[in-house]
Amino acid sequence: MAAKLSAAVPVTLVLALAGAGSAFAAPGGLGPPDPQTPSGEAISRLYWIVFAICAVVFVLVESALIYFIVRFRRRRDTPEGVDGPQIHGNTRLEIIWTAIPAIILAAIAIFTFTQIPAVQARGVEDEEHLTIRVEAHQFYWEYRYPSGAVSVDTLYLPVDEPVQLDLTSLDVVHSWWVPSLTGKMDAFPDRVNTLRFVPETVGEFEGKCAELCGVQHAFMPTTVQVLDRTAYEEALAVAQGPLALGKATWEGVCATCHGLDGQGDVGPPIAGNPTLTTRASLHTLLLEGQDTPQFDYYMPAVGTGWPERQYDALIAYVKSSKTLSTAPAPTTTGGGG
Amino acid sequence: MATRTEALAPSWKEGSVTSWLTTLDHKRIGLLYIVTSFVFFGAAGVMAMLMRIQLSHANAGFLTKGAYNEVVTMHGTAMVFLFVVPVLAGFGNYLVPLMIGARDMAFPRLNAASYWLFLLGGLVLLSSFLADQGGAQCGWTSYTPCSSEQFSPGHGQDLWILGIHLTGISSILGAINLIVTIHNMRAPGMTWMRIPLFTWAIEAYAVLLVLVLPTIAAAATLLLLDRQAGTAFFAPENGGPVLWQHMFWFFGHPEVYIMVLPAMGILSEVIPVFSRKPIFGYKAVAFSTIGIAFASMLVWAHHMFTIGMPTYLQAFFAATSLAVAIPTAVKIFNWLATLWRGNLIFRAPLLFALGFIGLFTMGGLSGIILAVFPVDYQAQDSYYVVAHLHYVLFGGTVFGVFAGVYYWFPKMTGRMYNERLAQVHFWLLFVGFNAAFLPQHMLGLMGMQRRIYTYTQGGLFEWYNVISSIGALLMAVAMLVFLWNAVTSWRTGRRVGPDPWQADTLEWYATSPPPPHNFDRVPYVTSARPLRDLRLRLKERQA
Repeated sequence: MAAKLSAAVPVTLVLALAGAGSAFAAPGGLGPPDPQTPSGEAISRLYWIVFAICAVVFVLVESALIYFIVRFRRRRDTPEGVDGPQIHGNTRLEIIWTAIPAIILAAIAIFTFTQIPAVQARGVEDEEHLTIRVEAHQFYWEYRYPSGAVSVDTLYLPVDEPVQLDLTSLDVVHSWWVPSLTGKMDAFPDRVNTLRFVPETVGEFEGKCAELCGVQHAFMPTTVQVLDRTAYEEALAVAQGPLALGKATWEGVCATCHGLDGQGDVGPPIAGNPTLTTRASLHTLLLEGQDTPQFDYYMPAVGTGWPERQYDALIAYVKSSKTLSTAPAPTTTGGGG
Repeated sequence: MATRTEALAPSWKEGSVTSWLTTLDHKRIGLLYIVTSFVFFGAAGVMAMLMRIQLSHANAGFLTKGAYNEVVTMHGTAMVFLFVVPVLAGFGNYLVPLMIGARDMAFPRLNAASYWLFLLGGLVLLSSFLADQGGAQCGWTSYTPCSSEQFSPGHGQDLWILGIHLTGISSILGAINLIVTIHNMRAPGMTWMRIPLFTWAIEAYAVLLVLVLPTIAAAATLLLLDRQAGTAFFAPENGGPVLWQHMFWFFGHPEVYIMVLPAMGILSEVIPVFSRKPIFGYKAVAFSTIGIAFASMLVWAHHMFTIGMPTYLQAFFAATSLAVAIPTAVKIFNWLATLWRGNLIFRAPLLFALGFIGLFTMGGLSGIILAVFPVDYQAQDSYYVVAHLHYVLFGGTVFGVFAGVYYWFPKMTGRMYNERLAQVHFWLLFVGFNAAFLPQHMLGLMGMQRRIYTYTQGGLFEWYNVISSIGALLMAVAMLVFLWNAVTSWRTGRRVGPDPWQADTLEWYATSPPPPHNFDRVPYVTSARPLRDLRLRLKERQA
């Protein structure tokens, strides 16, 4: 009876926890956020099942520990030095408790392997899919679409269409992570990594860079806008307008270090700096970067890989903005940076 | 036991500064190691507090950007290279010769050299903060190209590299010394199946150090050449960034077990003594130590599941990582079985040992979740990993180290610590630790990535961070209690005899503290518990 009960408890617990997991996702960070893609769902499913198994083991081990602490504490009537029974071991018992974890872990491993195709969205490879190149920079994401369109920090995706991200970096290692869509993937300067998924919900999903990439690592966000097909095409077209692209570029690229109004932050103030509106010097600065001793941090070569029209867009946007194109009254700052 | 120390007493004045500077005595070197590494522990702990103050609420401006990155880098590096590895070296140095019935380490001068290199390395590493373009900023992993000359100009990163080199040489020399000592200087009758389990753990620790430290030394050398001599070993066009990660983690993962195994060894000494029972399954515990050490060299790429590795490699590293859990589970079961039907004495060493079991179980299980690599795609580089590694290295190793500190305090100082303060220390640390790190699991799954200096989210996200920071504060208070206890007890604690715990192993045969030559006579060893045998024989004779 007792044996039956002790076997039934963990099984019920596993089922209950797995059920709870699929019914409502991640209350308070107990699991990954509510997944919006089949691959994200596969990850969550895997998480909840392994979590449930681990939770049962945790409860059993900690209960044994606490029970032994209470049960075998020295009684008041037993002197401190009195020996317990001199048991040196039990080979059969030890073989059993080596075998049980081995079996559980093997089961976890096998179950994990069965989930790989779903997690990696293997199906996408063979279907017609949208391939978007993702270029990571210090400290922003540049998205390049097959049509030649580009966007900064915001990725536009059509709903229910398989997508493949080709991730690379133009400086250090970054990692693209939008928790509600799927797992993360690193962006390396020497290789192109692919990440595939099918977004199934219209909406806006927040993401970030997960790999320490420098001084503004905390401010390298990305937003994924999943839209229906026509809205997607429209949004992408609007984003190509010079002022829109210029604004996105300013906010995603320049403002991270120089402030939204160019007032300076990690980098020096640049509002009104003539380099911003002189094409040739802007070009040189953004392609080569700069390391000036009087500032704490170097300026990365943020403009590598940009299409020419992105420079035009940035200049147009700066010119259109009063705060950015005129120097604040008393400053005497010169030279870019 | 009458001791005749006059003939062998050192010629210099005991206790004077020069005697400590020139000492070749393994016990003094061990104490130097332990005290120095606790000073570095304090420094790295202050860095942790600075980070938790910065992260205690959204959009804070206390310690931001580059300064935060410097602190996050140095906290991790110092905890690993300046605290955990050397404090364990200190315990090894102090205890191994005593436990195996030797007079000293095999190479006393090399031993002193190891310590002074460690101190120098620690100072060089911390001097990275003073470099004129800031200290090293790319995390304790110092991934390239972030750590290359182009993205980390100035000498902060170079000083980090030199610090790693010096502490690395120190550890390799110390490890060779420990291996030679254990293999050659055991007392008569002390076969491999009779050496204390802590000595087994130190053997595994030392062998692993010798095997993997050269890899990080080579990687750091190549990085230094890249930075200062214009080579291109880690240049992206040569596939360098991934190469660095492989070299780093080929060292870095076994390093985790280097940091955990000796703490497990401490548990295998403490639990039997305070349960008044022999360890349950000596052979299983010893062999699982070797098993963990071996398997730990085959799992390194589980730190790299998101680099875009071929799936079959990910599957391989997931399987090996899961396999490590087997010998680890065996150890936990053996400790539990040792407690079973014992006569448990709840003094501080046992409390910390039980804390280790409770917390390390948590860290081990979250490790299983992380080894399942699709889940790792979500958890990698998030606070989930931060929580996991602290449950293993703090909940595990540091609790084990404190168990050891309290257990051997009477041996090392000849005085008993204050039990009441030690219990306060334990409960503050236990509660503070869980408050600090339990919510970090949730933060990671909610999307908080590692090594960010601030966040904008409010609500539950911010609340978890508030709790975590309060926990860190409790831990800091606990450390002050410990410091006070250690200092006052060392000076004025109650004097104790050679064997206050009625323990099993030979270090308790020597006086407290032991004389420079350790033993006048070493008994012939007939079991894994020579001191208990001696006690029983004595009792028989009296009866």
